[in-house]
Amino acid sequence: MAQHQVNYMQDGGLPVALTSIDKLVNWGRSNSLWALTYGLACCGIEMMASGASRYDFDRFGTIFRASPRQADIMIVAGTLTKKHAEFIKRLYDQMTEPKWVISMGSCANTGGMFNTYATVQGVDRVIPVDLYLPGCAPRPESLQYAVMLLQKKIRSQKAIKTQKPKRLM
Amino acid sequence: MQNTNRLRPFFENITFDRDDNELVLNFGPQHPSAHGQLRLMLHLQQEQIVKAHPDIGYLHRGMEKMAENMIYNEFMPTTDRMDYIASSSNNYGFALAVEKLIGLEVPRRAKVIRMMLLELNRLMSHIFWLATTALDVGAMTVFLYAFREREYLMDIIEDYCGARLTHAAIRIGGVPLDIQDNFIYDLKVFLDKLPENMKDYEDLLDTNRIWLMRMENVGIIPTEMALSWGCTGPMLRASGVEWDIRKEEPYELYDEVEFNIPVSDKGDNYARYKIYMAEMRESAKILYQCIDMYAETQKNNQTELMAHAPQYISAPKLDIMTQNYSLMQHFVLVTQGMRPPVGEVYIPTESPKGELGYFINSQGGPYPYRLKLRAPSFWHTGVLTDLLPGHYIPDVVSIIGTTNIVFGEIDR
Amino acid sequence: MRAYTPKENVQKKAYYTDRYWVAPQVAKFDVESDAVFSEDLKAIKDAKITVLEAFIQVDQMVVYIKPEDNVATLELLRDECGYTQLSELSAIDWISKRGGFEVFYQMLSMTKRKRLRIKCFIDEKQPIESVQSLFRSADWAEREMYDMFGVIINNHPFMKRILMPDDWEGHPLRKTYPLQGDEFAAWYEVDKIFGKEARDIIGPEIRDTARVDRYDTERFARLGHEVPKGAEFNPDQEKTPLAYQEDDGVFLIEGFEEDKSQIIRDRKR
Ligand code: SF4
Repeated sequence: MAQHQVNYMQDGGLPVALTSIDKLVNWGRSNSLWALTYGLACCGIEMMASGASRYDFDRFGTIFRASPRQADIMIVAGTLTKKHAEFIKRLYDQMTEPKWVISMGSCANTGGMFNTYATVQGVDRVIPVDLYLPGCAPRPESLQYAVMLLQKKIRSQKAIKTQKPKRLM
Repeated sequence: MQNTNRLRPFFENITFDRDDNELVLNFGPQHPSAHGQLRLMLHLQQEQIVKAHPDIGYLHRGMEKMAENMIYNEFMPTTDRMDYIASSSNNYGFALAVEKLIGLEVPRRAKVIRMMLLELNRLMSHIFWLATTALDVGAMTVFLYAFREREYLMDIIEDYCGARLTHAAIRIGGVPLDIQDNFIYDLKVFLDKLPENMKDYEDLLDTNRIWLMRMENVGIIPTEMALSWGCTGPMLRASGVEWDIRKEEPYELYDEVEFNIPVSDKGDNYARYKIYMAEMRESAKILYQCIDMYAETQKNNQTELMAHAPQYISAPKLDIMTQNYSLMQHFVLVTQGMRPPVGEVYIPTESPKGELGYFINSQGGPYPYRLKLRAPSFWHTGVLTDLLPGHYIPDVVSIIGTTNIVFGEIDR
Repeated sequence: MRAYTPKENVQKKAYYTDRYWVAPQVAKFDVESDAVFSEDLKAIKDAKITVLEAFIQVDQMVVYIKPEDNVATLELLRDECGYTQLSELSAIDWISKRGGFEVFYQMLSMTKRKRLRIKCFIDEKQPIESVQSLFRSADWAEREMYDMFGVIINNHPFMKRILMPDDWEGHPLRKTYPLQGDEFAAWYEVDKIFGKEARDIIGPEIRDTARVDRYDTERFARLGHEVPKGAEFNPDQEKTPLAYQEDDGVFLIEGFEEDKSQIIRDRKR
């Protein structure tokens, strides 16, 4: 029977690191951001593309989930219309804390080119947004960048939030 | 604090426990396999659907209204956002309608480039269709493979027009740019590899038991239903009607290229799948011919890209930069917009999804008086009302998948 | 006093039109010039349907009929003349000029490869008979027409709004309806989700596309100068670093090192 000797001090052995709970929790949170598929329009296609072969979000721990209850971030990709507005709020409320929102594309940011009667002029009128990603449609790379910025934001927060809850009302 | 009770339960006016044992199931509007924001109200007897009410409008962005408030050229980028999987085909439909309205003839090289773009878009759309439908049915591998090819196509288009998704690559009166040097080379690389890729997909799907069970004899659309519901494109051809606008009412140079129209008389999901696959091969065939046609225009030195009609179309950039009158004309056309003659047109084109028609009523002003977008997916969603009853819940997903609906185009 | 602006058409209008400019017309041709169309027109006339006007424009025949005759005409065209598909149906708003709507039916015959357009004029409040018993596609198209224009349709099985929410007010494609919506539209989502009390907190929509407000920290922060939402604007604020990873690296995660990574020059692989 072969005997293995593990030198814990050596590189490549089991890592031992000292850290604070805050950091550990945030490390876990920021590197497994499960996103709610919220493809609403054209940007949703780019969101799909970023989950697909070339851009492959799964590498970064961003896995798309179809249920709000399993998701940490909501990537609002596309035009939010007035008819749809109540559903986005409903789904946002169903997500468990902690939760973050990326508003992807100019439509979700400000209504974009659709300055009409039927579109909500920015999802931040309905749900609180953490990160605005400009572009029409933003490339998958920029969505990647947005997620990375969000990771950074998460790491800079306290694990147990003392700041006031992100609520519009 | 948040007032949680404002959003009342959605079904407050629907009794779940009804005497007739019917269950009402709400599907969407945010459902991963609804291809967008489709909401279906399904009345169920056990697992079987007895009544279906598709509810649309969750992506209604008021495009027709926007068109009434925009000059014609300004509206072009908005058409991208209709069928956002194949944007150029929307651009093209609109450009063609306006050209017919003012009676323009587009130079030959522009026509060839347009045809290339159209067919590239068709390929892109069909590959995307394959990817998403396969994903909905559970074939993740096909999704990953198909997106690989789609990215390649996107690169080609991006090299041409600079955008991946929203191309705005076609102008009224022609195309803005000549294709870049490596376009033909890249295209050839892609086309040469396409049969191999298609074989990959078909190997994965054609004999796959799950795929066959969910596709064969599911969602049969009889010919009468397809005609009566205004189905067009692959949906109609799968139901046994040989009708392709490219062939029957040829526009651009489609009467010069050789291609077949795949038709099936089965009308089920599998027939539609087969038709999409066959159409991809036909598109590749057309693209090969377009490459030759392009070489021919090069040989004949036909370098014009925009129609010459100073009243409606700006002069080429070189003229604008060098000639005062062209600059003035350009300025007027950009600030005030072109004024097509008084009249009406309805111009259908064969978009990847079906008949994409633009109805324009012009009153001689720079803004259209009325612009109606006839989007194929609108009717392909409508047909679900009659199609779904009798099917089971799992079939809903595969049927929605094969109808190839895109919500930007349904709700406009 | 404020200048009076006419309300009957609030769509954008050309800001300048030459006084002597006469709009050209798209050519209209006689129906006789096309054998197929003249036969169809004859069939319509033979069935005692009043044809008010008929011509060919851009290769398609346009026939004006009376609104009462719409079902009869469409049935005739479908059964006798081979126009088996109703590809489009909608209305044009002429309320301010002529006090009503023009309804058009766009038909397609696949055997003859011809398209024609049946048009009729109805008054604003005058109902029109549904054609969905002939063509199922009219089911949704008529609902859309009702939704967008408020055209009343008789004998439709499920007359509800289709694109706009059920509790919407107004008919968006009428010329009197502004592009950016009316008061009701502006507050629709706020009223519905949070209630009218929330209007003050959430504030009005910002519709001015050219609006730039660098003191606004409620909506966007400038890149590199991020501040918490709602914080006071401070012009001397320190720059925030833009690198997406903290300088000392992230716990247990290897940083990206450019010189050690393989860079793909050809994207198309
Ligand atoms: S931002 Fe542009 S691409 Fe994205 S949903 Fe809006 S219109 Fe579509």
